[in-house]
Amino acid sequence: MFALVFFILDKIFYIFLYTAPQLEADKRLELLLNGKINKELIVMGSSRGAYNIVASQIEKETGKSAYNISYAGSSVQFQLFLFKTLLKFNKKPETIILSIDNPSEFLHEKTLSFRYDRLYPLEKYNYINDELIKQNDKSKLSWFLCLGRVNKSNLNFTKKNAAADSPILACGSMPFIRDSDKKEITFNLKKERYPIEQELKGKREAFLELEQICHANSIKLIYCFAPNFRVYNPALENRIKSISIPENKFFVYDTTNLSYKNKEYFHDDSHLNIKGAKLFTSELSKFINLNNNKILKE
Amino acid sequence: MLFNSFNFALFLPVVFILYWFVTNKSLRLQNILLLSASYFFYSCWDWRFLFLLIFSTLLDYFSGLQIEKSNNSFQRKFWFWLSIIVNLGFLGLFKYFNFFTESFKDLLSIFGFQVNMWSLKVILPIGISFYTFHGLSYVIDIYKKRIKAEKNFVDYAVFVSFFPLLVAGPIERATHLLPQIKKKRTFDYQQAVDGLRQILWGLFKKIVIADNCAIHANMIFNNSAEYSGSTLLIGAVFFAFQIYGDFSGYSDIALGVSRLFGIELLQNFSFPYFSRDIAEFWRRWHISLSSWFKDYLYIPLGGSKGGMWMQIKNTFIVFLVSGFWHGANWTFIVWGLLNAIYFLPLLIFNKNRDHIEIVAYHTILPSFKEFLLICTTFTLTVFAWIFFRANDLHHAFQFISGIFSKSLFSLPSIRPTYVILLVLFFIIIEWLGRKNKYALEKLAFQYSSYFRWSMYIILIMAIFIFGAKEQEFIYFQF
Repeated sequence: MFALVFFILDKIFYIFLYTAPQLEADKRLELLLNGKINKELIVMGSSRGAYNIVASQIEKETGKSAYNISYAGSSVQFQLFLFKTLLKFNKKPETIILSIDNPSEFLHEKTLSFRYDRLYPLEKYNYINDELIKQNDKSKLSWFLCLGRVNKSNLNFTKKNAAADSPILACGSMPFIRDSDKKEITFNLKKERYPIEQELKGKREAFLELEQICHANSIKLIYCFAPNFRVYNPALENRIKSISIPENKFFVYDTTNLSYKNKEYFHDDSHLNIKGAKLFTSELSKFINLNNNKILKE
Repeated sequence: MLFNSFNFALFLPVVFILYWFVTNKSLRLQNILLLSASYFFYSCWDWRFLFLLIFSTLLDYFSGLQIEKSNNSFQRKFWFWLSIIVNLGFLGLFKYFNFFTESFKDLLSIFGFQVNMWSLKVILPIGISFYTFHGLSYVIDIYKKRIKAEKNFVDYAVFVSFFPLLVAGPIERATHLLPQIKKKRTFDYQQAVDGLRQILWGLFKKIVIADNCAIHANMIFNNSAEYSGSTLLIGAVFFAFQIYGDFSGYSDIALGVSRLFGIELLQNFSFPYFSRDIAEFWRRWHISLSSWFKDYLYIPLGGSKGGMWMQIKNTFIVFLVSGFWHGANWTFIVWGLLNAIYFLPLLIFNKNRDHIEIVAYHTILPSFKEFLLICTTFTLTVFAWIFFRANDLHHAFQFISGIFSKSLFSLPSIRPTYVILLVLFFIIIEWLGRKNKYALEKLAFQYSSYFRWSMYIILIMAIFIFGAKEQEFIYFQF
């Protein structure tokens, strides 16, 4: 009798699961799940991709439809999950631009993680729940019980707003449209050794798996190195080149451009502001056009 | 498999059904089932250490028989010391070898000698401290002629390996558990319901309280240099509730699960954070370990016979060994030493048995004096827990000096409202249930069953909603 009463009461919690996606400011993952991201060019990565690359600008400058599904603070394992979701529910893109976290892509970095918080509002979708079970974040009881899917964050009906200084544009990008009260940033001239012995196997494997999926699906992959407010260190680029498939392309920002040594183009020492993002994106668009022309000629 | 895992949620009903519906006609079959289930449970952690568990069981079983059989004092001593040395030897090897080599290396370096000591890359077998102590108490009791040796190997093996208590206690005594194993069990509905109730409370303590406190305690302890004094203090308090919720929650689940099989285990916690002094705290915290040390270390050393200095010396030894039992790190030894220092004034002024009865037994709230005493004792234990949690002594001292700085009076930068409210709710429920074996035992029995059901449903909901990502039980490392 107790079990029956509990089972019935459990179903009431479906209300929270149902309304949670509607309250989210960032609906990109839900769009992915619903097959609404059918673009020729997809930008992926962490905050370096989200803030530094303006997908709508790439559209204008290359003539290719583009969308940005980068998530700030996301690890390469999360990006792999997004990529698999993209392919499962949407039309296969022609090109993936993967923004690389230089130098943390394969290293332990506490600010980069699997963004479970992006999945929790979408728990009503079995695909998302299955992924959380696979990640050991939810138990298999969540197959049967709504309570097994509900999180603390679901328990309110407050609509969330995007960050005021980096709103989500229609193309998915989130450039910094205004500078916050930032700390004084100084251009860093140090080049540190890349600690290959500290690479995390899980991150490297996820990275290589992403690459293999692109290769198997004939998707062009461009590794994109955005500027930091420091001298460019090619160590990670060389490391990726040593393990990557030769056909993949590498795009590095123009290291001779003095704008990238000017703090007026930066929001902080790791991210560009809108001015910097537009500059960087235009370089990226030129690179994409150049490569497309090469292919056409071939 | 963890108690709060899906796998255990599948394992338990299967064993329960087989126990009461398939093997119930035969006590022998029931015990074989319990033993098989226990070995399966243990092998889910690491099957390689199952052999060590079985070896330890066989050793103590045979040693017990030989000690009893021997007429010759030399033979009795031989088997007794064989069991002690081998059991403690394994414990020492797996748990303490690297500690001793590292400490010896550090000592030599003080004198200017640099040596490369060989260290072992071994995994600590889960539960080794617990099942070793089970076996030791059995052998010692036979040697002291307090009990007879168990002739039935299956019965003895169930005593050592009974799965609810195998990996984190309580540390049972042969005099308490073996008779229950040897007696036919009949299904008692009330006992089973009470068991489920205790499991629910244990899960709430572990999943809601301990795991949520752990998130913030870990964040603060792992980055202690970045936080203000007030934040460090809050981190220490979170750890105090983490370790209590974790360990007492696990014990509650163990006791509750045992009740489902008609077996009563020893109570391991009795609301220790409501203690009015350290002596009372140690009568209420990890009771099975404290009483083990009292019976097998303190009393054989002479106990309180031989005057005050003997008593003080023996008390210090027990606390230091207890600290060392918890882990191979100087922080645990300092933790034990601190507790001994706290105990000292009570010993000297003969105040260590002042608070035997339950606090505020006849009133709803404690008196002002009682409240002050509770807060003082809690503060002392929180301070000691800093050493328990810290990575090393340097970290502990750095943490403490961080607390006692000007920033102690600033607002903590980490103030998770929901965790604080959950802890307050938890304290209230524990306070209301302090006269029982566990908080939920008879709570709200004066109201209708619908009211109690609502309470249980709220607790289950809280477990699901506030269930943080699975954190391992702290005491598994012991």
